[in-house]
Order: sequence, then structure tokens, then C-alpha cells
Amino acid sequence: MTSAVLDRVSTASAVLDPWPRTGATAEAPVVDSLTMTDELAERRQLFQEQALPFMDQLYGAAMRMTKNPADASDLVQETFVKAFAAFGQFEQGTNLKAWLYRILTNTFINVYRKKQRDPYQGSTDELEEWQLGNAQSATSSSSRSAEAEAIDRMPASAVKDALQSIPEDFRLAVYFADVEGFSYQEIADIMKTPVGTVMSRLHRGRRLLRDLLADYARERGMTLKETTTTTRSAT
Amino acid sequence: MSDCGCDKAKAELEEFLHNELSAEQCQDIREHMANCDDCSAEHLVGITLTTKVKEACQEKAPDELRAMILGTIEKLDATA
Repeated sequence: MTSAVLDRVSTASAVLDPWPRTGATAEAPVVDSLTMTDELAERRQLFQEQALPFMDQLYGAAMRMTKNPADASDLVQETFVKAFAAFGQFEQGTNLKAWLYRILTNTFINVYRKKQRDPYQGSTDELEEWQLGNAQSATSSSSRSAEAEAIDRMPASAVKDALQSIPEDFRLAVYFADVEGFSYQEIADIMKTPVGTVMSRLHRGRRLLRDLLADYARERGMTLKETTTTTRSAT
Repeated sequence: MSDCGCDKAKAELEEFLHNELSAEQCQDIREHMANCDDCSAEHLVGITLTTKVKEACQEKAPDELRAMILGTIEKLDATA
């Protein structure tokens, strides 16, 4: 695995350029080997301090992308190797987390998505509102409170399953916004789409998620009807 | 219906939740929700959904992966 990753990475820095700087010329000064070594050591240390702490988060995102631990590990490793190779181009003081996520997402789309079967892939933006279930159900505020309560009691596995089953573009938008707290503009940059598309994916994704969780609750008898007030301990 | 501001509030709730509204817009929507059970209940569903998704998605990278990445970076460094 490692060698395959490294092979791909050797061509990566040329293709990748995730955060192209304008007006900056490539620096290739002639330096003696000692300075070079120092520079590299410094760069590595900086990278380890700044980028590696995002590993858990990137792994979480990779799990939602690839849906399995082996591919998620490969994806994260490849992301870090690419990021390290391109770290010289990263502008200190700008958003490193967004930069890393952009590399992660690019890598996922270019390498991993091809081998995955996602029935919705690429077609989600054309899905019509009616295909996406009851967009605005006329529910009362008390049934909404029951809904919130049911979602709150939902096991994490059910939430993950629901997230895994929605179309990829929606899932990623929801993940970037709700889990990572990226702004709409940052998500637009990461997913290379207009902000309007981000908003629509987010809205539809959350709607689908909500419907799936409501189905789950209903199936398990975690009722959403306002008539049955669920036991709520008065504190 | 539209007189009470619900339509506007409902349309903006998701952006409100994601901190995408201006201070002024936030103020408007907060004022509206203070007097509207329906919109505040809708907002509660939104917050709960976000919280649950966030909680459910917390992962820890395997130790082997961490070791492998550190090792790979060292190697890249040595050959650079």
C-alpha cells in the first residue's frame, strides 16, 4: 500500500497545487546541503506540529467518504503525504484545516471514488425536490419537539447509517458543515462548487437525514406523534 | 402566515444554525423565535440533528496509521 501511495504522490505535487499562490515564483535557490537539511527538518517539525493534529478529524471524514477503515486509512495517509510534499506552498497564517480537507477531498474524488459504487454519484444536483421525500411536512410544534427528542435519543450507529445512506455530495456537505463547522464558502472551495450548490446540498442532505431518522424512530416505536408525550423527567 | 415572519424565519433557520447570517439577521430571527413556538421547535430539531451528527462522527485514527504516516514523512524527508 505504502509504495502505491508513494508512487501516486510523486506526481501529486505537480497535479495538485491545492492552494495556488498568485505572483509567487517558485523558489529554487542554490543552498548548501547543510542549510537544506535544516530547512527540511524545520519544515517537517512544523508539519508535524500543525498538520498531524488533524489526523483524527481527517480520518473521520475519510470514513464517511470511503465507508471502510482500510480505504479511510489509505486515503488519510495519501492526504498527509501529499500535504507534506506541498507544504512549502502552504501559506502560513491561512486556514490549514481547510487546505488539508481540500487535499483529502481531491484525493478521494480522484482516486477512491472511482472504485466505489455510489448509485447517486454525480446526479444529485439533478434530483428534483419531489424525489427527495416530504420537503416541508406540515407538522405542529409539539410533534417537532417530539422529533427533536427522538433524534436526541438516537444511537450513534443509526445516525452514521443514515448519513452513509444519503448521496455522497449531500453527505459531504453535511459533514463539512455540521461536523467540521466549515463556512459555506469554505465548503464551496473544498467541493469546488458555488455557494448556492452547497446550500442546496446541505438543505437536501439534512432533510433526507431527518426523514431517515424519523423512519428509524417510527420503526423502533420511538413515536413521533404529539399525542404520546414521551417520558421526560422533570428536573 | 407570512405576516408573522415564519416564512422568512424558516427559510433562514439553516443558515442561522450554521452561523451564516449577519448580526442583524440573527437578531431578527432570535426575536421571531422568542414569540414563535413553531419556529423555535423547528430550530431545536435542527440543533439536535447537528449535535447528533457531530457526536456520531467522532473517530480516532488507528495507532498503526499514525505510526505509518510519521514513518512515511521521515522517509520522504530523507530522500528529498
